[in-house]
Amino acid sequence: MNHLGPELREDELAGLLAAGSPDALSDAYRRWSPLVHTIALRSLRDPHDAEDVTQQVFVSAWNGRHTLRPDQGSLVAWLVGITKHRIADVRTQRYRAHRNLTAVAAHTTTHASSPHDEECAERLLVAHELERMGDPRGTVLRMAFIEDRPHEEIATQLGLPLGTVKSHVRRGLIHLRTRLKEVEDVSS
Amino acid sequence: MSHPDEELLADLALGADLEVSPQARDHVSGCPVCQSTVQDLRRTLALAAHAESPPTWSQPPDRVWSRIEDAVGAQPTTPPGAASEAPDPTAPAPVTTLESRRTPRSSRRVLPWAAGMAAAGLAIGLLGGRALWHDPPPAPATTIAQAQLDTLDTKRPRGEASVVRSGSGINLKISTTAPLEAGSGFLEVWLINKDGKRMVSIGVLRSGEAELLPITQALIDQGYVIVDVSREAFDNKPQHSGDSLVRGTLRI
Repeated sequence: MNHLGPELREDELAGLLAAGSPDALSDAYRRWSPLVHTIALRSLRDPHDAEDVTQQVFVSAWNGRHTLRPDQGSLVAWLVGITKHRIADVRTQRYRAHRNLTAVAAHTTTHASSPHDEECAERLLVAHELERMGDPRGTVLRMAFIEDRPHEEIATQLGLPLGTVKSHVRRGLIHLRTRLKEVEDVSS
Repeated sequence: MSHPDEELLADLALGADLEVSPQARDHVSGCPVCQSTVQDLRRTLALAAHAESPPTWSQPPDRVWSRIEDAVGAQPTTPPGAASEAPDPTAPAPVTTLESRRTPRSSRRVLPWAAGMAAAGLAIGLLGGRALWHDPPPAPATTIAQAQLDTLDTKRPRGEASVVRSGSGINLKISTTAPLEAGSGFLEVWLINKDGKRMVSIGVLRSGEAELLPITQALIDQGYVIVDVSREAFDNKPQHSGDSLVRGTLRI
């Protein structure tokens, strides 16, 4: 697999992919296939289906690359949006198969996934964004959002002014919301 | 006043109301756009609170990438007729230079289509055409389920909810005969499961307008068929307030 280099920014990679660079596709795969595959695996709970979805997402991304608008959203959100589409497709197929089975068997056992799964992609995207956010913002956000620690305590522990901590929290939250909104725009 | 800065809305979502001027708070309490943003930021916060740290990623097996290479390599190239989708031919084509420079370094087999791409000099949208998420092509909107929305206490009809399928997906359409009163808070739309135990928030209803809120077929399939509109306060509590204004069950 070719690498375009770690120095390439996400929007630059998106531009190359949109222009049809096979290297950009392999680089996007290297960066985001764990995210895509994990979303698929957690949503569908079937390794075979998860592999199929991962494959379909990157093939779809390649086929649809001329619809990618790097100035209108991030590549990662675009891929997560496509992942949600493909997962929905698998669920629809499963539902149909299940409905046909139950129609024959004349009994209904609910096989449907829990509603919690609906947000699996979004939660993992947030975890991914938090993980790759530079420090100190990444650490500040993990302490504030996940560990639910007061801003004063974070400021003391990291030796940062309180105002800086608050500003990281605000901007980090806005960044995450922007990413989720982009996913929504792709999935709708 | 104009919409306050997004950072102020983030403060409201974080519950740091005192950091926000009273004028800005007044604006937000009467502005559906800002309320909707605050609500989005709260949902983001709720998602982040449940994010894994550090997350455990599952790498796909190597065979997945091989299959992708095979799948994209087997595709036909675009007939010349698709040129209307092509980028400006006078624009620089960095792909070509990158490709020719990097190919020798590649330790894996060269993608069979890479050579063709480089020779063409231009990356013309191979399968040219519709946006990925416009597939299938836009169809006329069809209503697949409907519910009359009645007040809970007096059972008076106040409007209607319908599930509408269009080219872009499935939406829940809410229209009321008269605007519902949000009071000092906002209106939130929920789908409650017919088991009476589970519910999901679908979005914020701007009072007085018909609203289309995106949902999924899976929700309907799983039995989320009771439409509920509640009045919510800006209290940083993502769960249902218990103050339902109208409700109705979708008939499919």
